[in-house]
Amino acid sequence: MSRFDPSDELFDEARLRRALRLDASELPSRIDVAAIAVQADTRRPALLAASLLSTVLTCFAGAALIALAAVALPEIAPAIMSSLLADAIETLARAAVPASSILGAVQQPAVPMAALAALAVAIAYEYAQRRERVHEVTS
Amino acid sequence: MAASVALRLDLPALRLATPVTFADGVREHQDEVFGVALRITGDREAAQDVTSSTFLKAYRAFDRYDPRRPLRHWLLRIATNEAISYVRKRGRDLRRRVGVEEASEIVDATATPDAESVAREDRARIRAAVAELPELYRVVIVLRYFNDLSVEEVAHVTGRPASTIGVQLLRGRALLRRALEGPG
Repeated sequence: MSRFDPSDELFDEARLRRALRLDASELPSRIDVAAIAVQADTRRPALLAASLLSTVLTCFAGAALIALAAVALPEIAPAIMSSLLADAIETLARAAVPASSILGAVQQPAVPMAALAALAVAIAYEYAQRRERVHEVTS
Repeated sequence: MAASVALRLDLPALRLATPVTFADGVREHQDEVFGVALRITGDREAAQDVTSSTFLKAYRAFDRYDPRRPLRHWLLRIATNEAISYVRKRGRDLRRRVGVEEASEIVDATATPDAESVAREDRARIRAAVAELPELYRVVIVLRYFNDLSVEEVAHVTGRPASTIGVQLLRGRALLRRALEGPG
């Protein structure tokens, strides 16, 4: 059994190199550098014209858009503003309904808020005193 | 007009004394640019068009050329991209006019007829097979074996990783072997 050699599957490099070399008959005629410069310069005006045309069209489109906005905005602005104002008032009214019931409960004279607060302070004070006493005995 | 052609730039540190000009680049590399275009497009007229557009683009972009890098690689990158664009634009119908028949018309009077005609036919078959390779492999094969670039240089010109180039070269050679010699 012969061993597998990966190079057996590949085309020979030297043969490939020789085959791809340019023949004398394939060589191109010499390139005229000045002609390239002329060609580059003659094509530039066309590019400039295209660029200028594109800029003009863009400006025209932008101006048309601004003009359209300037005409349309005074027409639709009052409608938009009134709609926004109505929405804002409606939202405020919805929030005010639950808020008013909470505020009403707090304002009820039947609920002795001050007495409840005083009771809470007294309980907290007594609790703190007891803890101090316990601390003194154990130390 | 010629004065505008002499776009002078500073050279890399090794050759600071000599400024490189666009005209130098054209003179030194035009055969190589034409060759890479010919081997990628497989068509002489197309190669001439590609060579022209390559130098035109290079002329316009010469002020953006980084002189620390080899001018040859920069030109080959433009030429490769131009050739690929050309082939894609023209499609398969254009490709490979340089086939066995056209290549066999090339006559070299200095060689003995028999041996040389066999060698010529062999070269023509190989060129036609290279021209039929998928574009991905054809470009790296041409840059490696026509332009004699290293794997790293091919990677630099094509913008692909060197490891990818290595794999593509092996795959390309395997495809050529299969196309020209068949399995076993």
